[in-house]
Amino acid sequence: MSKFGNKVRSMDEALGCIPKTDARIMMGGFVGAGEPTCCIDWLIEHGITDITLLTNEPGLDGFGRAMLYKNGRVKELISSHVGTTQESTEEYLKGNIKVEQFYPMGTWAEKVRAGAVGLGGVLVPVGVGILDEPGLFADLEEPKEVIEINGIPCFVEAALRAPFGLIKAWRADEAGNLEYRYTGVNCNPIVAMACDYTVAEVEEIVPVGTISPDRVGTAAPFVQAVVKGLSLAEHDEIYRQHWLRTGKLVEE
Amino acid sequence: MNPRVLIAKRVAQEFKNGQLVNLGFGMPTQASNYLPEGVTVMFHAENGLFGVGPRPSAKEAKADITNAGSEPVTLMPGAAVMDLPTSLGAMRAGVLDITVLGALEVDQEGNIANWAVKRNGKWWPGPGGAMELCYGTKDVVACLMHTDKSGESKVLKKCTLPLTGKHCVKTIVTDKAVFSVGNHCLILREHAPGITLEEIRASTAADFVVADDFCEMKV
Repeated sequence: MSKFGNKVRSMDEALGCIPKTDARIMMGGFVGAGEPTCCIDWLIEHGITDITLLTNEPGLDGFGRAMLYKNGRVKELISSHVGTTQESTEEYLKGNIKVEQFYPMGTWAEKVRAGAVGLGGVLVPVGVGILDEPGLFADLEEPKEVIEINGIPCFVEAALRAPFGLIKAWRADEAGNLEYRYTGVNCNPIVAMACDYTVAEVEEIVPVGTISPDRVGTAAPFVQAVVKGLSLAEHDEIYRQHWLRTGKLVEE
Repeated sequence: MNPRVLIAKRVAQEFKNGQLVNLGFGMPTQASNYLPEGVTVMFHAENGLFGVGPRPSAKEAKADITNAGSEPVTLMPGAAVMDLPTSLGAMRAGVLDITVLGALEVDQEGNIANWAVKRNGKWWPGPGGAMELCYGTKDVVACLMHTDKSGESKVLKKCTLPLTGKHCVKTIVTDKAVFSVGNHCLILREHAPGITLEEIRASTAADFVVADDFCEMKV
C-alpha cells in the first residue's frame, strides 16, 4: 500500500484485522481526553477480548477505555496507573487485570518514544532505589536492571511497540497526515509511530493539501488507516454535559 | 478555618513571582485560589500545558483544552501546549520551579510516599507523573493532614509505604505545622493558629528541632 495513498476506511475495514483474542493494542489519550472512543466502541461491539492494553493511564470513569474494563476485555495493562477509572480499579482489585509493574508516566512515554523511533530502549534515572525494591512488584521475574552512566544510576528500559495502535487526532487528510488541537495531542503522536498498524480516529477528514505542512503533527507514513469519529462539536457537547454532571462546569 | 483550606492558603505562600508551578490533585490544586498579592505564576498540567488558566464558562469549555484530571481549563496569554514526552521531560529535567504534592506519608529524610496503598494485596493505584515531579523539581512541597483518622502521625521517622521520591521534600505543610527538611531531622518553623508546640510534639513521630524564629502561620 502506498504510504501516501487514500487511507480513509470504514470502521469495519480499518479494524477488521484485529484478532478476536489476545491482541496487543496501544492507545492514545489522557484521562479521557483525546482518545479514540469510536474505535473503542467497535472493539466492544465486535467481541474483541483478552486485550493487552498499552496506555499512558487507564482513562476516565464512564468514557472510552473505561468501557473496555467494564466489559472485561482487558487482561493486561502496561501503564503508569490503574486508578484513574473506577472500572479499571475494580477489575484490577478483583484480579482480572494483570499489571506486572507500574512505569512512571515519563518512563512509559520514553519507552514508547524509543519504540517509535527505532531505539532498543532508554536509560531512565527516575525511580531507581524505589521501583527496584525487592518484592515491590511480585510478578516481575527479574529485578529491574540498573546501570550507571555519567555517574547517574539508571534503569535500562526496553522500547515498547505494539502490532496495533489506535489514536485520536483533530483532523486528517485523506493520506493520513494528522493535525492535533491543544491538549488533545498528549501521547497520540508517539503511539502512532510505535505501532505496526495505526488507525487514526478523527473529527474531520479533509483533502490532501488542506493541512499546512508545518501543522502536521503525525505524518502520513506513520498512519495506516483513517476513520471518521465524532465531530468536534459532538465532542465538545459530550464533555460539556459530563462536566456539568460532575460539577466541573456550572450551568449559565 | 477548615484544615484543608488552611493548608491550601499556607502552601500558596511558597510561590514566588514568575515561577512555573505544578499542583497535584486535591488540596494542592486549591492553593491556586490563594496566591499572595503581587505573585503571578504559570501553572503546568502534566498532560502537556504550560499556562493553565481558570475554569471556563460552560459555553466556552472545549473537549481538547483540559488539565491532567481531564477538567475544562483555559489557556493563559503566553501558554504553550506540548506532547506528553515533552511535558514529562520538562518535569524530569528540572524545568519546573516548584511542585506541591499531596502525601500519604512523609519522613524526616525528606522522603514522600503518595502513589500506592495495599488493596486486596495489590499496590494501587500507580505513580502517574508524581515520580518525575519528585525527581526533577527544585522545590518539592508535601502537604497532608498531620495525623490519620485514628490520630497516628503521618509525619514519620521513616515512610512505610512505597516511596514516590527520595530526599526530595524541602517543605512539609500540615494542618498543624510547617516543617523544613534539615539534615536527618525536620525543623519546625510554624504552628497553625491555636495549635501548641506540645500538641505538635505529641502528634509527630519524626524527630524535629524547633527553629529560633518558630511562629504562628500567617494565613
